[in-house]
Amino acid sequence: MRNPVSVVSPMLIRLTDERATGVLIRDHGALYLIDGQVVHAEAAAAPGLDVLLTSGGRLRPEHWEEAIAEAGTRCQVARQLVINGHLTVGELELCHLATLFDAAFFTLATRSGATRFRYGVTHWLGPIRPVPPGTVERESMRRVRLLNSVWPYAEVDTAPVRRRTRLAGRVISPHRRALLDLADGIRTPSTIARELGRPAFNTLVEVRRLAADGFIDASAGVPPPPGQQPSAAGAQPSKEPSDPAVKESPPAPDSALLRRIREALEAPR
Amino acid sequence: MANTEAALKEATTSIEGVLGAALVDYTSGMALGTIGGGKDLDLAVAAAGNTDVVRAKVRTMEQLGLQDGIEDILITLGTQYHLIRLLRGRGTDGLFLYLALDKSRANLAMARHQLKKIESQLEI
Repeated sequence: MRNPVSVVSPMLIRLTDERATGVLIRDHGALYLIDGQVVHAEAAAAPGLDVLLTSGGRLRPEHWEEAIAEAGTRCQVARQLVINGHLTVGELELCHLATLFDAAFFTLATRSGATRFRYGVTHWLGPIRPVPPGTVERESMRRVRLLNSVWPYAEVDTAPVRRRTRLAGRVISPHRRALLDLADGIRTPSTIARELGRPAFNTLVEVRRLAADGFIDASAGVPPPPGQQPSAAGAQPSKEPSDPAVKESPPAPDSALLRRIREALEAPR
Repeated sequence: MANTEAALKEATTSIEGVLGAALVDYTSGMALGTIGGGKDLDLAVAAAGNTDVVRAKVRTMEQLGLQDGIEDILITLGTQYHLIRLLRGRGTDGLFLYLALDKSRANLAMARHQLKKIESQLEI
């Protein structure tokens, strides 16, 4: 299987070399470049900087709006937040780097159609701390490997997350508890990330860890037969059960899929 | 605080014997900022690997039912100290500072004291 990240690799190298400014657009997100360096990234699945800053109570939504009104047209919103005294440079940098690498992961590491680059486009946020494209690419590949080493079934990334009902007696940290509380069988990891104000990738890692630990119902994925827990880093998941007894039994109806369809139909609009 | 780089720079200048330092996101294992390091100490690799160290300890504490938090973790090698300090603050949803020190030059007590000070300056 070809790594999806490596597909855009030649284009990123060329854009770095020619110190390009503009936006690289793929199916699941976009990378903004200035002088060949990545300054921002956006992806539908990843919460934006405003969500991360405001949902934790770090920044009031009206202060975010205010900075956009004052500096949006000049493409200096990030700087304006610091000038207005709502954020320190350090906070802004750390939070923005988290969103940049988060959105870049979904942009680069998701199987995608065409990749386009539009020269001259800049983002209204303005540069904060530029990152070399090679670093962004390496980090995205590392993230793919990390996810696969935790639980090599990507189905849980996009399926609604449902916690198992019998968790009594199991110790759960507050961090995981917050996620499990939202795992109602309707919300997907991406929705949960937005509600908690956490990066989407961090939520994916946590969801896969919860699946591996048996805290959530992972029947949407392909759980390994007992005694065959995934362990090897980057192992490719095998869809075929290796136990002959399992192989011979008639295929079970995909109850998880049926349930998801029913829930989707019944979900309030 | 000034910026991430300045805070890390202060860590390396105010603490004797620092070989490298990194500010790491503990869920993703990504280094959000690094200083020092080099071919003998790849800080990106150290960041990802030490995430597992922190996770293992957190997990053990959960299993033991300890209702407490980790302040720091010290790993003593033959020639180095590796110090991990977990950051807690308003928005710090799992960050830690990782510090590699030269054992022959470092003063461990001073290093821990300085690290605490830098943490308060980071106020993330």
